[in-house]
Amino acid sequence: MFAHIFRYRLKCLLRDRETIFWTLVFPLILAVLFNMAFSNLNKVEGFSPIDIAVVDNRQYQEDQYFKMTLKEVSQGDDRLFNLVVVSEDEANKLLNENSIAGYIVVEDSVKLVVNQTGIEQSIIKSFLDNYIQTLSAVNSILTLNPAGGQELFNELGNRYQYIREVPIAKAEPNNILLYFYSLIAMACLYGSFFGMREINDTQPNITPLAARINTAPVHKLKLFIYSMSASILIHITEIFILLLFLRFVINVDFGTRTVYVILTAIVGSVVGNAFGAFISATVKKDENLKIGISICVSMVGSFLSGMMYQNMKYIVAKKMPLLSYLNPVNLLTDAFYCLYYYDSLEKYALNMSILLIFILAFCSGIYLMVRRRKYASI
Amino acid sequence: MPVFKLCFKILKKNMFLMTMYIVIFIVVSIIMAFASANEQKNLSSFTQEKRNIVFITEDSSPLVEGLKQELGKIANFVDIPDQTEALQDALYFRVVTYVLRIPRGFTEAFMRGEDVQVEKTVAPASYGNLYIDLTVDKYLNTARLYVNQLENLSLESLVERLRQDLSQSTVTELGRVHNNTGSNAYLKYYYNYLPYSLINILIFGMAELAIVFNNSDLRKRNACSPLSSKSMNLQYMLANVVFALLSWFITVAVCFALNFKKSLNMSTVYYMLNFFVFAICAATMSFMLGNLVNRGAITAVSNVVSLGLSFISGVFVPQEFIGSYVLKVASFTPTYWYVYTNDRIAELTQFDFEKFKYVLPGMLIQLCFALAFFSVAMVIAKKKRLS
Amino acid sequence: MIIKVKDLVKRYDDLVALDHLSLSVREGEIFGLLGPNGSGKTTAINCILSLLEYDKGEIEVFDKPMTPESYDIKRQIGIVMQNVAVYNELTVYENIDYFCGLYVQDKTLRKRYVDEAIEFVELGDYTKFYPKKLSGGLLRRLNIACGIAHKPKLIILDEPTVGVDPQSRNRILEGIVELNKQGVTIVYTSHYMEEVEQICTRIVIIDKGKAIAAGTKDELKKMISMGEKITVETYGISPEQLSTLKKLPNILSVQYNGNSRLLIIKSKEGENNLETVLDFIKREGIQYGKIYSELPTLNDVFLEITGKDLRD
Repeated sequence: MFAHIFRYRLKCLLRDRETIFWTLVFPLILAVLFNMAFSNLNKVEGFSPIDIAVVDNRQYQEDQYFKMTLKEVSQGDDRLFNLVVVSEDEANKLLNENSIAGYIVVEDSVKLVVNQTGIEQSIIKSFLDNYIQTLSAVNSILTLNPAGGQELFNELGNRYQYIREVPIAKAEPNNILLYFYSLIAMACLYGSFFGMREINDTQPNITPLAARINTAPVHKLKLFIYSMSASILIHITEIFILLLFLRFVINVDFGTRTVYVILTAIVGSVVGNAFGAFISATVKKDENLKIGISICVSMVGSFLSGMMYQNMKYIVAKKMPLLSYLNPVNLLTDAFYCLYYYDSLEKYALNMSILLIFILAFCSGIYLMVRRRKYASI
Repeated sequence: MPVFKLCFKILKKNMFLMTMYIVIFIVVSIIMAFASANEQKNLSSFTQEKRNIVFITEDSSPLVEGLKQELGKIANFVDIPDQTEALQDALYFRVVTYVLRIPRGFTEAFMRGEDVQVEKTVAPASYGNLYIDLTVDKYLNTARLYVNQLENLSLESLVERLRQDLSQSTVTELGRVHNNTGSNAYLKYYYNYLPYSLINILIFGMAELAIVFNNSDLRKRNACSPLSSKSMNLQYMLANVVFALLSWFITVAVCFALNFKKSLNMSTVYYMLNFFVFAICAATMSFMLGNLVNRGAITAVSNVVSLGLSFISGVFVPQEFIGSYVLKVASFTPTYWYVYTNDRIAELTQFDFEKFKYVLPGMLIQLCFALAFFSVAMVIAKKKRLS
Repeated sequence: MIIKVKDLVKRYDDLVALDHLSLSVREGEIFGLLGPNGSGKTTAINCILSLLEYDKGEIEVFDKPMTPESYDIKRQIGIVMQNVAVYNELTVYENIDYFCGLYVQDKTLRKRYVDEAIEFVELGDYTKFYPKKLSGGLLRRLNIACGIAHKPKLIILDEPTVGVDPQSRNRILEGIVELNKQGVTIVYTSHYMEEVEQICTRIVIIDKGKAIAAGTKDELKKMISMGEKITVETYGISPEQLSTLKKLPNILSVQYNGNSRLLIIKSKEGENNLETVLDFIKREGIQYGKIYSELPTLNDVFLEITGKDLRD
């Protein structure tokens, strides 16, 4: 009986080419688009020089060191600033036109004038702070060791790299991966469409086909499980294709625990299918509503796990930690990331256990609903 | 106008679902906008929020203490035990974003003038880390100057001098025309995130209508009625347009409702105008898509289009962080131009007509897209009618 | 007794769909359930099949109480539903094979059954077609094949000829009689009186959820007072002539429709009714065209009992 039902269901599903195409292709397209969007994020991009001005007054002309320092960082290909030397009025005009991010006035001390408080302005300020602080140190040193002038000056040019980055986990933390993992999670949850269709096709109050099947001497639950296996098989295959695509075409790093990655994908697919079947079995009213609910849950789940706005994940974890454990998209995303990032499998096991509980809960719900043997109306 | 009324009856029938959709997507936009605006504020103001870091030292000396104090100006120290699991967790959950470790014997080696380094582990893409890097770098490099130039300098006096040096700070003055990016940031982000929501809502609504109208039996029956097909099409399109306008209105109204005072400035008008142009564009695009694909595919298509376009056009990842090649590709989509125009509006400090011409091109391009989508949709509709 | 239904009650909120319905189907008969649209035929069938919940009553099939888990009973039932219930993604052959496979596990046996079913409904030329490509009549034949392939002892057909061309319809009716000859009990529901009259051995007439008459064709017709209906096409008859006509022996009712110019006379059963009427017409000098006499139909039975036509 199993082979018979399974085989025919498989045939039915595979012949619905359009659905198969879209459920397979859409995550692949998104993966490509994500990759395009992020291709630059991890690179340290040489940012473009900032436009600034310095007021051409007497103090500025007299302060050789400052003039020289400024000049040095304003020339060359990897310069920090594009510098113009202008009058105060001109500087103000440029600032109001937004042609420069800010301008410097040398009076008793160095002053910075800006119009807004953005990144560029912060960088200029940092530079100036650095200058005056170093100046103070230099003065201090020269007071104690007047002879060291030239050497000191040479020394100023060397900046030494004092910080070394070390990884603390199996792999470098990488936020881009989270996007791709949550894409996989979303694709898993779209298995709900398959699950939904399974229930629809076996409930007589929805299609006459199901009514016919219900008059056959096959236990309803067995029928459902055999039939569902075909759906799950197809969906898991699609997820595997997505995984392979991500791994070999987009070069997403899954870490070294391949078996567990595959296991996670399988569990994810079952969760998605079970979820869809559960919705379909409990929401009796109309098809649109079922689809709508499943889309909304996937969407909200993806949002809360940080797919559109990454900080969301951490905001939820901080303010509503329970929610992050109740969100299957989040659980799946985290499961993949744990495999990649952590040494021990403890967190991974926690995530997986919760997912398995979900599956159990959905299946129980389905069983209770499907078990209801007769219907109030057909 | 029977066809027009019918369209709204169909939409009304799905009212519950439609409302759920709209509410969810708008709430998502709002949350993202608030969170982004907050983050931007933290990122850029001079009195920025202190980051949370873990400071672990295997070496004990006044130098290390001095470094810690200096860091204390820009960061909060969080106590996390020096165990791998605990630290991994802390970084993973963003309890801290930076872990600094001073290895044993650092001070001694440093004072001898050797090449030594401290170790950091960071949670990526957290911008505040830059300041911490700079601070550590500055402290140690300045200390190096002293060490290399002055012999017999005691640790204590070194640290004291460093403290004095580093307490200097540039005087900063905010110019006459002060543009408070704070409140505008919220507006900019809210409007920037809207394309995702709007496209989803529109495709959903229009697909509903398209499915009913493209049902071939219904089409044949309608074709036999005395109502001219031109009139029917016009009414159908009008219904779509009204639906799009309603969506536009609701999203804009929500923005106003949430942030009334801050929205009462000229930039809001510009944002609304830009969004209106985009709404037209998105409406025609959804109209075209609704007529192109069948029921099963509509969910997948709406997802790919809304999510995909949003990612490459700078809706979720700001345009400044997207590679130039990608932006070139994205410039063939209307979403890109919408975000581009929005960013320009955000930069504006004055709103006279002179400045308007900075934002005009973006809007015109969007309208061109709208025209293109519309023509394609008409061609498809005609083909379907004749089939 | 193959099917026994006692006092079946089914309510949909305030609407009573089945009102203490009782009926029984004996082995080897073609049982007809006749009633207008909305009378509760399909509801009754669904209850018998344990698809539908009912409020009161007892249902036994093959002398055992019927429940959704009565798989051994279900194995012997074949059902042909009102709506075509086939998979659009499977070919004709695959559809029949699938449904047969739910009843028959043995592959070789099943293959034989499927081939025989295809032959029986004459779909041999269409085995590789998909349901979308079939016309209404062919689809119905496929629907039937799916229901009978596993050679059940009881076949229930719920309005199987709706929307079918006369040729296919005749073939279907012949097929049903053939199956019955092979020993299969048939339950046939319809609102087409001619079909039921043509093939059913025993009939229950149902209206508004109640069984209003039961018996063989002849028994039913004997139930009503009318034994014969005489129709005369005439160009004019006066009211006095009408009332005189009515007083003739055996005449039950007389009705004249000026528009269609038809004089309809209903009389009790008797041997010389036509002669009596003809004599009267000739005596009165009434001009007439066509005259025909009919035996009562089930529609007449229905009409007399309920006061309305089966087609209403």
